[in-house]
Amino acid sequence: MKHIAAAVAALLIAFGITPARAQNAAPKEVLVGAIYPLTGNAAQIGADARMAIDVITEVINGQHAPMPLAMGGGGGLANLGGAKLRVVFADHQNDPQKARAEAERLITQDKVVALIGSYTSATAVTISQVAERYEIPYLSMDNSSPSLHRRGLKWFFRTSPHDEMFTQAMFDFFAETGKKTGRPVRSVALFYEDSIFGTDSSNVQKKLAEAAGIKVAADIKYRANSPSLSAEAQRLRAANADVLMPSGYTSDAILILRSMQEIGYKPRAIMAQAAGYQEQAFLTASGPLAEGIFSRSSFALDAEKSRPAIGTINAMFRAKAGKDLNDNTSRQIVGVQTLADAINRAGSTKPEDIRRALTATDIPGDQTIMPWKGVKFDEMGQNQNATPVIQQVVNGMYRTVYPADVAVMEPTWNVGR
Amino acid sequence: MTPEIIAQVLISGLLMGLIYALVAAGLSLIFGLMDVVNFAHGELLMLAMYATFVIFAATGLDPVLQLPIVALLLFGAGVAIYRGLIGRALGVQFNRGTVQIFVTFGLAIFIRGAAQFIWGGDFRSVSGAWLSNRSAEFAGVFIPLPQLAASAVCLLAFAGLLLVSRTEFGKALEATREDRDAVALIGIDRNHVFALGWGLGAGAVGIAGAMLITFYYVSPSVGANFAVIAYVTVALGGFGSMLGALVAGVIIGEVEAITALVLEPSLKQIGMFAVYLAVLMFRPRGLFGRL
Repeated sequence: MKHIAAAVAALLIAFGITPARAQNAAPKEVLVGAIYPLTGNAAQIGADARMAIDVITEVINGQHAPMPLAMGGGGGLANLGGAKLRVVFADHQNDPQKARAEAERLITQDKVVALIGSYTSATAVTISQVAERYEIPYLSMDNSSPSLHRRGLKWFFRTSPHDEMFTQAMFDFFAETGKKTGRPVRSVALFYEDSIFGTDSSNVQKKLAEAAGIKVAADIKYRANSPSLSAEAQRLRAANADVLMPSGYTSDAILILRSMQEIGYKPRAIMAQAAGYQEQAFLTASGPLAEGIFSRSSFALDAEKSRPAIGTINAMFRAKAGKDLNDNTSRQIVGVQTLADAINRAGSTKPEDIRRALTATDIPGDQTIMPWKGVKFDEMGQNQNATPVIQQVVNGMYRTVYPADVAVMEPTWNVGR
Repeated sequence: MTPEIIAQVLISGLLMGLIYALVAAGLSLIFGLMDVVNFAHGELLMLAMYATFVIFAATGLDPVLQLPIVALLLFGAGVAIYRGLIGRALGVQFNRGTVQIFVTFGLAIFIRGAAQFIWGGDFRSVSGAWLSNRSAEFAGVFIPLPQLAASAVCLLAFAGLLLVSRTEFGKALEATREDRDAVALIGIDRNHVFALGWGLGAGAVGIAGAMLITFYYVSPSVGANFAVIAYVTVALGGFGSMLGALVAGVIIGEVEAITALVLEPSLKQIGMFAVYLAVLMFRPRGLFGRL
């Protein structure tokens, strides 16, 4: 009797499992791991990223009228039987070692098919190393250090422009505006935080300044999250360059503007490498001090005419976050969109298939919310069609001033006055 | 490097140093009283800044006028922390030192997490207060009024703490510090004294926080920016010495400012830690320490 019972049980189990396995062939959901700062000094960036990613996954997975976006039809990943894209979050606390550990955990325990993230470039370095070792695609959405994609990595992709593309746009803008107004930029002061983002950014700025024959009047690397930046502000005042070019995160951005104001120094022009300077918290905290600041951006909220999806997506984000999309959150949206498009075209959750689909990505700009030419990766995994814009703060809001085809106003130019 | 620049940097260093001193005063007081290093000190500063921010946003009451309110709130928080946590941690039989470290460290993580839960991770600041973004100029040297006011308040707070030490309560504090078991024999309730000591320490950092928010941003992790400097200040001045905290704060403020002027600013903490290491090597009890 015992034997029969065991045999029946075995049969039942076998029958029980077989149909379930057949269902698994087309997965119900596809898991992607996002690594962001969810606690610590950059916690708000992570919280905003989560809301932005929620918005685009709702667009991809939900049932709704088609939107003018790649993957904007809704209903999940069509080539995977309508599987839903699900993003699981991990916290790197802006610490490269924690980022490495969380990347490993997501891959080995949560079995994600790809990684996305991570805002700070220092954490992108370690995440990309883990992705390379485990052979899982890593899509960097909002990291801008130029060195990231130049390490011969096979599994690294970046939708965002990097700081060389951004900085080139700044100097092109200087040249064009200088010619138009007859008041060219003769000197710049570099002011950058002491991690990979700031140093990479400043290296490019130095190179391009030299090429353009612009003098680097001050070259100041500062300690991030300092209690005081008074002495640093003093050195900037002493240099008194035509344009101050800061690269830093939100906290220091707020503090340096105040510190300069306290010692009665107002630079003639500020051209920021986005990051903290594009954050709403910075604009709110700085108020009138931020008026007239230029910043590079990969996003133009005011480009709705040529990018019709901006209105809907921004409204969805606004409902969650209570603020508009910015340079960071918009890049997270286009990043997830690109990855979903690749997984869908791959029609598979195998990492190698997804990687191959990513290399074949070709999304035209008007199928995104970005003012770019589009998304198309070169052999190093860098999106070569990401074309940045220059914006200026007017009445507490960033307005696009360059290049001419997406500009909504003329820049206010105080250099040489 | 013109004389104005040097004067400007020295003044910035002095003003910042007095604020470091005030932040460190509460830490020093608590350590001197009961040998407990409060790892949640930076988080108390953060709470004080948020308290001021919230009251300002709700009522428009200027941070300067809020000083007594925030000091009292933090005094209450200090007493509550002692009664609820530290007093119990002092009562354990084994590994008392480790338990105290874990209790205050855990408290720090809890407060930070709670702050992020309640107020979110964004950076906030008070704008439109009387002192906001105002400076006075003398012969090409600018003195930011928020920092000037904070320094004045710092000196007043130190005077207040010294006055307290002259009172009956101050003598009880001193006696409890000397021998916490013997004071019980003469009718001093040491738990009561310790709780008030925590209240005073937290109240001092409350005053620092209320002044700091007039020119600095607040976020859940802002405490860390000041806490490390506070520990160095206390160790440099001598654990438990109020005067030591004052002098050490000013030294650190000046050293930091001067280092940032002559070296690459990203290395500016080198000067401060070099002074600290030198003190550890040649005078381990700190400049004014009695331990």
